[in-house]
Amino acid sequence: MMGSEAAGAEKRMDCRGAMEQLFDMIDGELTAEVEQKVRAHITGCPHCFSCADFEERFLRAVHQARAARSAPAPLRERVLHALRREGWSG
Amino acid sequence: MMTDHPAPAAGAHAEFSALALTALDDVYRFARSLTRDEADAEDVVQEAYLRAFRSWHTFQPGTDVRRWLFTIARNVFLRSTERGQREVTLDDDGAEAVDAAQAVEGWVRTGLDPLLDRVDVGPAIRDALDQVPEAYRAAVILVDLEDQSYEAAAEVLDVPVGTVRSRLFRGRKQLQEILAVHAQDAGFSTPERSSTGSSE
Repeated sequence: MMGSEAAGAEKRMDCRGAMEQLFDMIDGELTAEVEQKVRAHITGCPHCFSCADFEERFLRAVHQARAARSAPAPLRERVLHALRREGWSG
Repeated sequence: MMTDHPAPAAGAHAEFSALALTALDDVYRFARSLTRDEADAEDVVQEAYLRAFRSWHTFQPGTDVRRWLFTIARNVFLRSTERGQREVTLDDDGAEAVDAAQAVEGWVRTGLDPLLDRVDVGPAIRDALDQVPEAYRAAVILVDLEDQSYEAAAEVLDVPVGTVRSRLFRGRKQLQEILAVHAQDAGFSTPERSSTGSSE
């Protein structure tokens, strides 16, 4: 199920290790050395490659979903009004 | 309405305007995602800005003003809902979460794949995110929507980085499951669910 990683390759990442660190890799939270290991595994493992591709597409879609909301004009006025009452002079 | 806190110095008002008020859209979006309610979000934003103004002298120039405002907004939100004490029970084990997620990943991926390619998937994602429990939702909002690092999210949420990581994982997986159900209900896919496992 988890793919083709050869046993006994001490310094190579296995499928479980790669999947546990997949989000960290996509989020840019890994050190360069660890990221290289994860990417090397994913590139050579069809199962993990498919998972990584899916997660990257998913996170891209989630990020793009944020764009639609900006503060309504009445809220901006309400905040400014409250701040003026508090002494703000901007 | 005036309180006994020290008023910011005159020069600080312009600084507050230039830095804090320009982040109003971000704070509103964050509050809206946290509260899932328009009126509640606006209350949180107003109260957060008042607190931010009163505490402006504690903001450290050069640091991320959005992170600082998010922290205040979330504290206002938690206080308003008195959820602050309950969330400490949500911390979890990362490896266990990976196992649970893998149990349903095939079903979720099959269901979600066709949805991700649609240009109008945004509303479905926002609706699904509203259904994710607050602690996980907050981590997803901060990292995935507001581009905060794990460290920054940990600061906002007042939890260790490892907790952010596990909440983010669980939040994303729950979001995927909710969206997969949506995709199935909407007729985008007809996957067979092979497991009833959950990442919760």
